[in-house]
Amino acid sequence: MIDKASFQPPPIGRVVATEQKPATPHQFHFWTANETSIGIGAIVRVEGFGAGDSGRVVYGVVTDGFAYSDLATPLHDVVGAEGDPARAAEHPTVRQEIRLWTAAVLRQRPEEPLQPVPLGAVHVASDVDVAQALRMDAYLGGEQPTAIPVGLYTSGGLEAPVYLDADFLLGPEAAHLNISGVSGLATKTSAVEFLLASIFQHFPPHKGRVAAVCFNVKGPDLCFLDQPGALEDEDRRRYERLAVQAQPFERVRYYAPFKADGVNLNTLRTHPDLVGDVEPLVWGLREVLDYAEVLLNRDDIDAKADAFIDFLADRVVDKEFDDGFGGAHRVVTFADLERLFRSIFDGLELAGRGDTWRTHHIATIRKVRNRLSNISTRCKGLVTDDGPSSDLPWGRFEDRAVYVVDVANVDPLGQDLVFARAVSKLREHLERRDLGVDAVVVFVDELNKYAPGDGPDTYVKKMLLDISERGRYLGLVLFGAEQFRSQVHRRVVGNAGTIVFGRMDSDELATPGYQVLSPATKIKLATLPIGELMVRHPHFTQPIFVRFPRPGVLRGRDGVERFPPAADLPFEDAVVRQLVKLDRRVRPNQVKDLIADRREEDVRRALAHTRQARPQDAFAHFKKHLGGRVAAVPAAARESVAPLNRISDEPY
Amino acid sequence: MSRSWVDAILAAGVVPASHVPEASVGRVDLEEFTGADPVEDPELRVRSLVGAPALAPPSVGFLDGIEQWRVVGYAGVTPIVRAHVAAAIRLREGDRRLRTVAENADELAITRLDRLPDAVRGALAGTGVRVVEIPADDAGQPARALPAARLEVQKARAALERRLAERRLARLGSDEWLVVDGVLSDSPALSAHPRAVGVVKSHGAEYFEGPELERALTLPVLHRTSVFRPKRRGARREIYSWYLRLWPWEGNDLLYGLLRVEARAHPGTVALAPRISAWLVGERAPLATPDRRWDRLLYPIYDVESYLRARAPRDLLPAPGSRLPRTGT
Ligand SMILES: Nc1ncnc2c1ncn2[C@@H]1O[C@H](COP(=O)(O)OP(=O)(O)OP(=O)(O)O)[C@@H](O)[C@H]1O
Ligand SMILES: [Mg+2]
Repeated sequence: MIDKASFQPPPIGRVVATEQKPATPHQFHFWTANETSIGIGAIVRVEGFGAGDSGRVVYGVVTDGFAYSDLATPLHDVVGAEGDPARAAEHPTVRQEIRLWTAAVLRQRPEEPLQPVPLGAVHVASDVDVAQALRMDAYLGGEQPTAIPVGLYTSGGLEAPVYLDADFLLGPEAAHLNISGVSGLATKTSAVEFLLASIFQHFPPHKGRVAAVCFNVKGPDLCFLDQPGALEDEDRRRYERLAVQAQPFERVRYYAPFKADGVNLNTLRTHPDLVGDVEPLVWGLREVLDYAEVLLNRDDIDAKADAFIDFLADRVVDKEFDDGFGGAHRVVTFADLERLFRSIFDGLELAGRGDTWRTHHIATIRKVRNRLSNISTRCKGLVTDDGPSSDLPWGRFEDRAVYVVDVANVDPLGQDLVFARAVSKLREHLERRDLGVDAVVVFVDELNKYAPGDGPDTYVKKMLLDISERGRYLGLVLFGAEQFRSQVHRRVVGNAGTIVFGRMDSDELATPGYQVLSPATKIKLATLPIGELMVRHPHFTQPIFVRFPRPGVLRGRDGVERFPPAADLPFEDAVVRQLVKLDRRVRPNQVKDLIADRREEDVRRALAHTRQARPQDAFAHFKKHLGGRVAAVPAAARESVAPLNRISDEPY
Repeated sequence: MSRSWVDAILAAGVVPASHVPEASVGRVDLEEFTGADPVEDPELRVRSLVGAPALAPPSVGFLDGIEQWRVVGYAGVTPIVRAHVAAAIRLREGDRRLRTVAENADELAITRLDRLPDAVRGALAGTGVRVVEIPADDAGQPARALPAARLEVQKARAALERRLAERRLARLGSDEWLVVDGVLSDSPALSAHPRAVGVVKSHGAEYFEGPELERALTLPVLHRTSVFRPKRRGARREIYSWYLRLWPWEGNDLLYGLLRVEARAHPGTVALAPRISAWLVGERAPLATPDRRWDRLLYPIYDVESYLRARAPRDLLPAPGSRLPRTGT
């Protein structure tokens, strides 16, 4: 202890202040030797000495650098070299030069009274200094530390772990993280993957259980989170230094809708070795109707349509219902609903009763029908008539599990629906505290698509805004990533307590949102190497640069190479595969014989029931639900959601 | 040394003053015509440097000194001057950067002790500051006392420079040269050393008349005169010298870019004069701007001076602004 305290490496710089460039409580200038390890982003410690200043310590981060010589005007260099640039290098003496740095104050000790930085000696920061400078001491130690490693601060041979405060990353004090930067170089997706691993390993026990829901919106990006990726020695070293284990996620659950055929999954994780653990994401009329607002306000907001949808949801669906023209309905599926619509239209026409039905104007009814049929055609594999829905395990979320919802290939309307429903469900359950975990990180890549700064206020945008404003109290935490922060809704990014930047586009840096950064910091951001990030966090007075290791998971790109997606299976084979997945004893030929000549929707329905029931004997269950053989019906006559009318844009 | 001795004499009754006499910048060395003997040519000639290979010593020390002074108080009408003199040698080696290898500074009180009240004299003695006296004749009249004090400051500085130079010369590396700002001939050791060069920027002393003088002072750029031997004056040692023009004077002034170089009185100097001249011409760049004397001031000398000024006590610099009466305490 004494040794440590008395060992004082020589200073590497000295604070200077002039009338033009004075030291202030928030900024100071210092010079170093020309050969120095200091650079933009370096953390330094200033020690005051002399009356009033001795014992004062100031931590700062370098935000700008200047070099100049005693050359009075450039012209004098020309004169000295007689106009020949080559001769300028031959001068017998090198001019006096200075390396002058500007640093922003991170922290002063003591904090009160807040005074200008003393004109003292400047030292490079040690591990301990970094913890002090970033105020990490408050959450690194103590009875209940809340530190989550985010990366290594690296400067001139020194390397110090930087931690985020779980209370400020995942609530309740502050929450949410936003990461931006150019494609491929900013390592946005990778950084979030690494941070999730770090959160899972370091989430403080007293905060309870945590899980993540990741929407895969781009190709195979998040499809292999359970597979180990290639790491280099440097990555492993960083993991060790950060005390995070380099490994893929242990509990990953994949969800993907079907393709239009209703049996092949709409994901790139279809390699036979992996597809087994992808759960279908299938919603029926009830699930869709609850979030019908998503479908409506993409184009228009209409109180009348809303009212009609409410009517359907409250009075019609899943109930015995009399259409008023003598027809009795029990609407469970889209097909049932379509039948109801037809009898309403037919009834109105036959009766010549004008154009209102139960106070709802026929135009409103048509509009709602259009919207609903629209979703059922555009998102066939997600929205289905064929039996019970299959959904995320609401209420049974596991600790430290990642739920990947693959919507990469889903129509934008369907993506909105998935977001809206998944996030609303998360919120409901977190509010009731019965989700199964205490906190959920929701990772939305390409946030600019879902919460754009301009354009209409869609349901999804309002919902993301709502999480970002209220989620921290619930443990509902948004991790958003996008290339251009300026394109995301201001309040969505503004509410993120932790903001991360990877390599940035210089046009983006020229937008007003980055005015607070010094020109040098901007240059550094525009040239940031892969694996380095700039982090802003409530405890850090200034942005800090850190390096992080490659995530320990298989990259999407490599994943599809190692596990090439299987070609779509013919209907029967896909059914077989799903049954085999439920029960390994199922014999393929038996299944094929059973379903030959059966209507596909019946097969799908039976399959869905079997999936839901998870019986001991899957084949028997499936067979029972499929019921007796009926005569094959020509496809044209099938009764599922009709190939409905195209979306009509006419006024009603 | 701190200002403490000044406080002590003020406490002893000296009336505080703060005055840097006008003509204190730069040195005067106006001397009478002294004459010179020819060495290289029977009569002073103009020689071109074109084609002369430059001497390129791998390491060169540059020596310069500074002086700063200020009247800090009056006992009656007798001034008490506080002076700071300093000198340094900065060595340039392979990396073309200058590093201080020798340095010395001194602080003195200049006055006339027998004109001070006992209390002040006692106070001064008690502080241990080195006291230098001006001649009794000059002490009575402030108009003469200040120039006399100034002369003492200059002498102190010259002595400091000489001591530093001689100490360095004693262990000068075999391929190391020493370039001195000013004359060599004040010092026996300097004026005899084979690798010491004096570079004189002020031309108070005149060694020629008539056509020879004209040749010397209208020397074209990148030319030098023949080597000559200034006639000995007083304690000065025998030395060889020549003029050298660094920048074209036409359009400026006769003395613009004109240096006088001194080296030991030895046949070797005549042989080396072209190479030393070419070397010094090479030292024109980098320019020693913004110093007003940049046309003659070698950058390394300027650098030594900047170094010394940066380290001089701040309270001796002429106060910026006016000399209006101070208000308050
Ligand atoms: N810590 C790291 N060190 C070195 N390379 C890394 C690191 N993290 C990620 N990479 C590499 O950087 C590349 C880009 O990463 P990533 O896909 O995460 O970027 P992105 O910002 O999400 O890009 P996009 O905008 O296209 O989605 C990947 O090839 C990845 O292997
Ligand atoms: Mg990405």
